[in-house]
Amino acid sequence: MIGTQVLAARNAVTQQVRALSNFIEDQDPTALAVVSVMTGALLVAFAGFLSVSSLAIVPFSIFVVAAGYGWLNHQGLTARMLTFAMTVGTILILLLITVFIFVESIPVFVYESTTVFGISVPGLRMFTQAEWDAVSPPIRYSMVPMIHGTVMVTLIATAVAAPLGISAALFLSEIAPATLREAVKPGVEILAGIPSIVYGFIGFTILSPWAADQFRTTGQGSYLFVGIVVGLMALPTVVSVAEDALSSVPESMKSGSLAMGTTDWQTMASITIPAAFSGVSAAVLLGVGRAIGETMAATVMLRGVPQLTKPLYNAFYGQSTLTSLIANNYGEADGLQMDALFAAGVILFITVLAISVGSQYIEWRMRRKLGGEN
Amino acid sequence: MAGAAETRLVSGDTSRSNAVAAAAVALAAVLFVTSLAALFEVITISDPFAGVPVVTVLGGTLSLLGVAVITFGVGSYVGAVETEPSRSAGLVAAVVFGVVWFAVGGAVTSRVLGIGGVAWAFVALLTGAVASAVTAVPREDIGSTLPAGAVTLLAGMTFLTGSVGPAWVWELEFEQQASLTAEFAIPVVTLFCALLAGWAAAKAYGGFGARGRKMGAYLLIYLNAGSIVSVLFILIAFTAFRGIPGLLNGTEFGLGTGPTVFGFALPVSIPFVMHGVSLFNDFQGVLPAIAGTIWLVVGAVLFAVPLGVGAAIFLTEYAERGRFTQVVEVATNGLWSTPSIVFGLFGFAFLIPRFGGGKSLLSGMLTLGFMLLPLVLITSREAMLAVPDEYRDASAALGVSKWQTIRSVVVPAALPGVVTGVILGVGRIAGETAPILLTMTGGTFVPGERTVDVIGGFEFVSTPPFVANPELLRATTALPFQLYALITAGVGLGDNVSSPTEFQWATALVLLLVVLSFYAIGIGARYYFRRKLDYE
Repeated sequence: MIGTQVLAARNAVTQQVRALSNFIEDQDPTALAVVSVMTGALLVAFAGFLSVSSLAIVPFSIFVVAAGYGWLNHQGLTARMLTFAMTVGTILILLLITVFIFVESIPVFVYESTTVFGISVPGLRMFTQAEWDAVSPPIRYSMVPMIHGTVMVTLIATAVAAPLGISAALFLSEIAPATLREAVKPGVEILAGIPSIVYGFIGFTILSPWAADQFRTTGQGSYLFVGIVVGLMALPTVVSVAEDALSSVPESMKSGSLAMGTTDWQTMASITIPAAFSGVSAAVLLGVGRAIGETMAATVMLRGVPQLTKPLYNAFYGQSTLTSLIANNYGEADGLQMDALFAAGVILFITVLAISVGSQYIEWRMRRKLGGEN
Repeated sequence: MAGAAETRLVSGDTSRSNAVAAAAVALAAVLFVTSLAALFEVITISDPFAGVPVVTVLGGTLSLLGVAVITFGVGSYVGAVETEPSRSAGLVAAVVFGVVWFAVGGAVTSRVLGIGGVAWAFVALLTGAVASAVTAVPREDIGSTLPAGAVTLLAGMTFLTGSVGPAWVWELEFEQQASLTAEFAIPVVTLFCALLAGWAAAKAYGGFGARGRKMGAYLLIYLNAGSIVSVLFILIAFTAFRGIPGLLNGTEFGLGTGPTVFGFALPVSIPFVMHGVSLFNDFQGVLPAIAGTIWLVVGAVLFAVPLGVGAAIFLTEYAERGRFTQVVEVATNGLWSTPSIVFGLFGFAFLIPRFGGGKSLLSGMLTLGFMLLPLVLITSREAMLAVPDEYRDASAALGVSKWQTIRSVVVPAALPGVVTGVILGVGRIAGETAPILLTMTGGTFVPGERTVDVIGGFEFVSTPPFVANPELLRATTALPFQLYALITAGVGLGDNVSSPTEFQWATALVLLLVVLSFYAIGIGARYYFRRKLDYE
């Protein structure tokens, strides 16, 4: 079994190598030389840049000169190579982000290790106790209060964004007359465009004092209102993705239902929404991702004290989220504390990446199910 | 869609009972608006309205609405009103009313009877279960009106009898102290009851059944769409209203009043956008932040657009669809949803040590470029995939090489989509604060003479990398960061500007104007191109 797999893999590789060598044989030798110089120079320049060498400019200028020569004389191949390098560059950026924030956070993971059954587990203590103290010993960098804050804000934001967003998507894709849609759709887009710091500013100057007054809390800043504001900010993401999902349901399915004499709403409730269900849930998932990563509104509106609220479900107080922890503390942090901020970044990055991949998988499955060619 | 099948016979049939249901919907709408007004303290609940306190008026109206809804449901059940109800109100309604009555039961037991713990949960669960059963088991006309009407009536009676008056407070007895006050609870309860009763009344207006459900659902969906648009409108109008005084502070019109641009004196002077902050200014401004934002956007676009468009070309035109394109797609979508603060951390760890070890404009540009890249790639790719294959085939049939085809057929045809995507993406990154927080920005106020001048900053040096630009390697400011710094500076702000609040709101307004103008251009461009394509 495994033997045949290896054999198949080897066949595929030899096929690709053959295709590549055929491709190389077809090309002009000078063009090949130019492209090889470009590739080599670019690789060396990248290596130099990684090793913080100011000499990286030398191979980079060789690359630029070679690319210029290639562009003038062998445009087709040069363009192909350049666009390929750009594609690789895009993947490289994601890889670099992963590597760099991981590497920076390693010391704090080592510092916060605990022994379980005689085995030292790095980073475990960040999640087993709830103390964050960067000043007085024992110095502890627990992520629990921030995870609690992020979960609270995300739950409230989802409770706001999911129903309102799905209903607005239904409105845009199924219900609204054309003229009304042309008015509402740009409105939703502009809502996405309002900078998060403006939301935060309005929240900080208007909403927070008002909420503190209404609920008679000590001081300002509550998860409840940060959640509502963040929900408003995640709303456009939910609307646009859910709308795409709803309008990708084939018109023939809807018409078939309507031909049975159902009302519009019956068709939506029993045909369109169930058929687009996975796409709509992907939309909500992406909205959740947005809410988790939202920084500025949370930073400005929360108290910024890394603590749990008491009791845990007390949403009228807001302490700190993973994102606001980073934005609040980057200024005075150094050494281990800075690494702890990177650890918060790692948690955020992994969570949101998982959500993104999950929602893509759901969307892909839905497209396959509906049998669309798009 | 189905609207075409609706005959005049059905839609023209408005009997007296329908008028009652319509009146109930209107009543719910009035309550909805009033409760919003009370929530945002436009009206105060203890103030008298026609001699009676507002809270009593609200209570009376709620009771009336509740009675109307229940009467309609019962009337329909006994056959006094002609409707076509289904057998049950459905599972969704049952769950919603179950939750509502669970809360009501819980609140009543703990507040009125003073019971906590297990008994509380028991009573709350019991009321919730009964409400669910009442919704789901009987015919639709009873199931959808009775629970909604009853909760409205109950709320109305509580307000009317003064059990919950303007001075009512519920101490939540949390360790971190918080309480529910009447100013919050009364409007919010009214809001919810108006929504529930309005939905039930809309169903009744449609005569229950399929048509009634459509009415109820459409009422809520239209209301939601309307609210989203009005929230947007209120946000922008409010910022403009608060920001304009500060923005136009010291504005002068007339020849020669403004600063000189390209040897020509502008006929208008708006100090807020034309000056920095300095001791000798009559009016302070945010010019360095505006210049910083512009250069940031320029740098990010110069970095991300060639890279993104090039990668999109490779993926759509050269690469075979398979494992590789899939990986790139997953990676770009992952990049797109990566939180902006993570980009900031990455810029801090990766770019800053490579550009002189301090915060710099160049690091900010590249960090924002990384953020813009996935968006450019995704939109360009979509635009190129949308170019019909006939175009490519026709070009190939003329004997044109692949690259020539891409350059003179595919890219021009995809250009509208690419341009629109880039503009909308720029709007998004221009307002980003978190990434530049860690990579680019310094103090709260930047003096006017430190406005970045990238073009004039280039110089050649004898050590590698041979080209230097101190302007690019210096920490500067940008509009979103300026606003953040103004918020966090708090009290200390008063030493620099005469009216800190005005200055803050004006900064917010300028930022909003910059970002929204990108959006306006982007959306406008899309309409223009779409119309052009339609004509062709």
